[in-house]
Amino acid sequence: MEIATHMLRTGRRGATFEFAMALKDLRQSMRRIDLAWALARHDIVSRYRGSILGPFWITLSMGLMVLGIGVVYAQLFQMTLAAFIPHVALGIVFFGVIGGLINEGCDTFVQAGGMLSQTSLPMFTFVWRTVARNLLNLAHHLVIVVGVLIIYGFWKVANVPVALVGVALLIINASWASLLAGIASARFRDVPQIVTSVMQFAMFMTPVFWTADKFPSRHAVLQFNPFNHMLDAVRAPLLGKPLEPHAWLILAAMAVVGWGLTFTLFARTRRRIVHYL
Amino acid sequence: MKAPPVSISVRDLTLRFPVYGVDAKSLKKHLVGVTVGGKLGRSHGATEVTALTNLNLELKPGDRLGLIGHNGSGKTTLLRALSGAYEPDEGEVEVHGRIAALLDLNLGIDPSATGLDNIRLRGRIAGLTSKEIESRLEEIAAFTGLGPFLAMPLKTYSAGMQARLAFAAATSVEADVLLMDEWIAVGDAEFQQLAHRRLLNLVERAGILVLASHEVDLLRLYCNKVMRLEGGIASPVTDIKKLDELLAA
Repeated sequence: MEIATHMLRTGRRGATFEFAMALKDLRQSMRRIDLAWALARHDIVSRYRGSILGPFWITLSMGLMVLGIGVVYAQLFQMTLAAFIPHVALGIVFFGVIGGLINEGCDTFVQAGGMLSQTSLPMFTFVWRTVARNLLNLAHHLVIVVGVLIIYGFWKVANVPVALVGVALLIINASWASLLAGIASARFRDVPQIVTSVMQFAMFMTPVFWTADKFPSRHAVLQFNPFNHMLDAVRAPLLGKPLEPHAWLILAAMAVVGWGLTFTLFARTRRRIVHYL
Repeated sequence: MKAPPVSISVRDLTLRFPVYGVDAKSLKKHLVGVTVGGKLGRSHGATEVTALTNLNLELKPGDRLGLIGHNGSGKTTLLRALSGAYEPDEGEVEVHGRIAALLDLNLGIDPSATGLDNIRLRGRIAGLTSKEIESRLEEIAAFTGLGPFLAMPLKTYSAGMQARLAFAAATSVEADVLLMDEWIAVGDAEFQQLAHRRLLNLVERAGILVLASHEVDLLRLYCNKVMRLEGGIASPVTDIKKLDELLAA
């Protein structure tokens, strides 16, 4: 049984101690990672309780969106459906993972307020809950991804192993942003609104609905847009295109710097988060 | 493997609460000379409430401590500190034993899920694996006495029914330390008796109970020791027989 049989909480301060406690929180959340999964599963199940299709509404509504946007924009951009629908399907699905993680990250701690204020559950459990919930969402969307790749023949050129590395890098990066949004939203109640606006803006500034070849490749919108790099690392290999040079390096650097800074912030604010709520 | 005995020890605990997003100045004016609540101060742009000051407490197996005091005197804050949710600003809180906190009826509760699903959810939060929960589900279900209502969404329950469910689920986890806020009084007479037996059973298993309540009768029923909190300052722990003196003080 994974119940803490000894609990010691002290008023000690100092950067080293705060880091040690934050690491301990992280370790304990890993030991109880099944709890995060159980909570995430419960979230998904309860969202669709009583509906006939259940979680497959996620798949269906996404499928409709891909179809609608695919048909209309392909016409607008004078592209063939065969070229455009896979692009937009992958774009919407994987940008959806980024957006979902960051937007729902705002609720991570706020939603867990009741539990955090009367148990010694690790805080990271709730971060993993948000991540796990979005992974489960993605699992439902994969039906569309696989379907589109098969229908339009991209399964022959898709480089799945490279794409999986891209998915991993995308999730690692979106996760720190999710934690950052969680801490900031707990403290400042304007943050969720800001995050929603920024993510919406980012969706239109990133080649989700449009294709990057309409832009000069060195354009700032592409080059300095972290979401573009995250998305491209997944989408390009699946569509049989080469990765941008240094794509993995850029994403790995973002992950290291992002997690470093966010974890430091977490270590510094950890004891206060429960009071923010 | 012999674990150290169940114990709670609190040494010089001071707990300050930052309260964000209030205008401290106007609040301060309102609170000068008020008898309830802790002391207010200001730091880092947040109003600070000192909820507990220099609190010391030692409890050993078999102790059933009642906490009394005004609204806002720090009873719930102390319980939350004992549960590990609040970290001390100064001092230490050390607990040996598995802790079950029944402070809020709504812990891990999903109103649209059924009673059974909520028991499962609570069990998971309390640290049981899904197998362990399934093996105990029947017993917990029987203890709640809710019968067919367990298959109904929780939002259809009355407060008393919710309390039954919460209490049954929380005490089924074999905790050594049970922290309770006064809501336990919501159940009906029959449930009170069941709860009483279960609590006594817990204490017999060398557990510790800390119960915050305004109900003098309830405290006499469950507790053998009592401590009074006033503005975050604790009285010495005394025998329950001296409850009247403590109340008069």
